[in-house]
This record gives sequence, structure tokens and C-alpha cells, in this order.
Amino acid sequence: MSAESDAAFMARKAAKREARRKRPEEKALLGMTSLMDAITIIVTYLLKSYSSDPVVIQPTQGQKVPMSLADTPIQDGIPVYVSQKSITFAEKRIVQMDETGAIDPSALQGHLIGPLYDLLAEEADKAKQMAEGKGEEWEGRIILIGDQNLKFSVLVDVMYTAGRAEFKEYAFCVVNRNG
Amino acid sequence: MSRKFEEEEIEANLLPVMNIMLLLIPALLLAMEVARMAAIAVSPPKFAATADQKQEEKKDKPLNLKVFIMEDGYRVSASGQQAGADAGKAADSASPTIALAKPGTGLEDFDRYDYALLGAEARKYKDLFPHETVVTISAENSIPMQVLIQTMDNLRGLDCRLIGAVNAGEEVPPECMFWQAIVEAGAG
Repeated sequence: MSAESDAAFMARKAAKREARRKRPEEKALLGMTSLMDAITIIVTYLLKSYSSDPVVIQPTQGQKVPMSLADTPIQDGIPVYVSQKSITFAEKRIVQMDETGAIDPSALQGHLIGPLYDLLAEEADKAKQMAEGKGEEWEGRIILIGDQNLKFSVLVDVMYTAGRAEFKEYAFCVVNRNG
Repeated sequence: MSRKFEEEEIEANLLPVMNIMLLLIPALLLAMEVARMAAIAVSPPKFAATADQKQEEKKDKPLNLKVFIMEDGYRVSASGQQAGADAGKAADSASPTIALAKPGTGLEDFDRYDYALLGAEARKYKDLFPHETVVTISAENSIPMQVLIQTMDNLRGLDCRLIGAVNAGEEVPPECMFWQAIVEAGAG
């Protein structure tokens, strides 16, 4: 390559560099469309899942909710979590179970679970007052979120206690097998 | 001779990445919804019938289907007569009406019961009493809740879908047999 062509090449390059330097800076535009699409999907999904479930069921640690073919949706009610380790109500562990999965005998008076009864009766009073304020009839529904291995005797005790606290309707929460 | 090249700024094309993200987000959200919750309505036992119910009972004899879950099988009775009881006896507690499908297995095996035979037995009663929908279920103290739920499923009918009846007020489909369960303690 001759010195002349080399100089011409360098001159062209310098001219290009100069032109680039003089070019006004372009403002970067962020493409928001895709982001908005993603956010729309997430928001729609979350709104759908919250609006379709009147009660949010969050099983306690280690609790295995029974499986069923039932397809009836959960209706509004007061949830009580009964696992093999404890009975939980309003995010509080009320009663501990022994190692065999039976209710601690000190909490039992016949079939009545004392600490659970106190809280359920209080909750029933509140719910009745609220329903009265709205001019509606109190449905008195309790949702029992049990465990696959929960003993029938414990289930009966919880149902009996809820009945004593004036709850009239019972629903067993299950995981839909077809879901 | 060394040449100095200026580094050129390369603008990343984010469009393919965003396209993938757009597909991944709904896919992950759908995968998250693994457990769809449902409810089984149960009733406590009623101790006294109302006046209307008493009059109705006189017209049409109720089936009064009862299923008792024992550790060694099911005891099924209707109108006070246990199915499969010894001749001349109303109940025969020594042996279950429907024996275990898997004898010798522990209580933690939920498939030890003969659910298919229970369903077939329920179908027989339903054919005889097509308007009956109520079954009383009880169990021994040690019976796990999963067995109770599966028993309810089979008495209700495996093809029974009640969502239309509950949500839209449609008629209960004919596949549904005994879909109103009463759970009580110690019903033999």
C-alpha cells in the first residue's frame, strides 16, 4: 500500500470521526410496551385469583390438605386449620396435639375444645353483629382445613366445638384432584 | 504501524429477550397455580325433625343410608338394616359389609378401602331411591380424614360435578348420588 493511499485512508477516517463528533446526541428511548404487557398480565392474574376466592387458604407448615374430586368452590366462612401438630385459628396456634395426633387432654372437656370454643364464640358474635349491621342473615359457615392423616375423633371434636359456638354450616377444604 | 480503532457502542437488542419474558411470565404464573382448592359441604346430625319433615316421612319412607368406616372395611346400612348382616339380624358388627381391598395394610395407606365396591353399592341404593341425596357417614376414631373424603367422593359419584348447581342454580346432575353428607360421631 502506498503512502498516498494510506494518507487518504487516514483523512477519510478523520473526517468520519469529525462528523460523528459533531452529530447531535440521540436521546435513548426505552421501549415500555413489552414491560407494560408483562405487568398487565400479572395484575390481571392477581386480581382474578383474589376476586374468585373469598377466603385465602394458606395451610400451615407440614399440613397436607386432603385430595378430592369435589369441584364446589369455597364460599365465605371462617377458616380453622387443623393439622396433626396443632389447631390454628386467626394465625394463632391455639391447641397443641400430642405425638399420636390427638388433642392435648388438658384442652378437652368431653368433646369440647375449650380454647377454640372461646375464640370461635367471640368470632361468631362479631360476625353476627356485622351481618346485622348490613341487614343480612348470618350464614355461620366454618371452613375446616384438615390434614390427610387427621384422626376422625379430632375432626368430630372440632365440629362439635364449632357447633357449640353456634356455627351452623361446615365445609371441608380439599385440594381438587382435577385442578 | 499500529492503528487505533475507537470502540463502537453496540446497542443491545432487547426485543427477543422481552419476547421470551412475555412467554415465561404467563407460563410461570400458570405453573404456580398447582393446587385448586374446593369445598365439601357437610352437615351436623339433626336431632329433631321439623313438623313438615315428619309429614313428608309418613308419605315416603326414607332410605336413611348410613356408612360406617371401620378399620377393617365399611359397614353399610339402609332403613336400619345392615347390608350383608346374618339372617334375622338388623346389624352384624362382627364383619363389615365391604371388606378391605388391601387387607393387611396400615391406616396410612388411604387406598386400602374398596371404594369401587362402595360406589357400586351406593348406585344400587340410588336406583331404588332416586330422590334420596342424603348419607350419614361416621367412622372409628383412628380413621384418617383422607379416607373420609374419598368415601364421600365415591358416595357422591366420581363423575358428579356440582359446580353448576352451586354457582348457577342448575339442577344437580343425575350422576350425583348421595351428595349431601351428614358427619356424625359413633353412628353404627
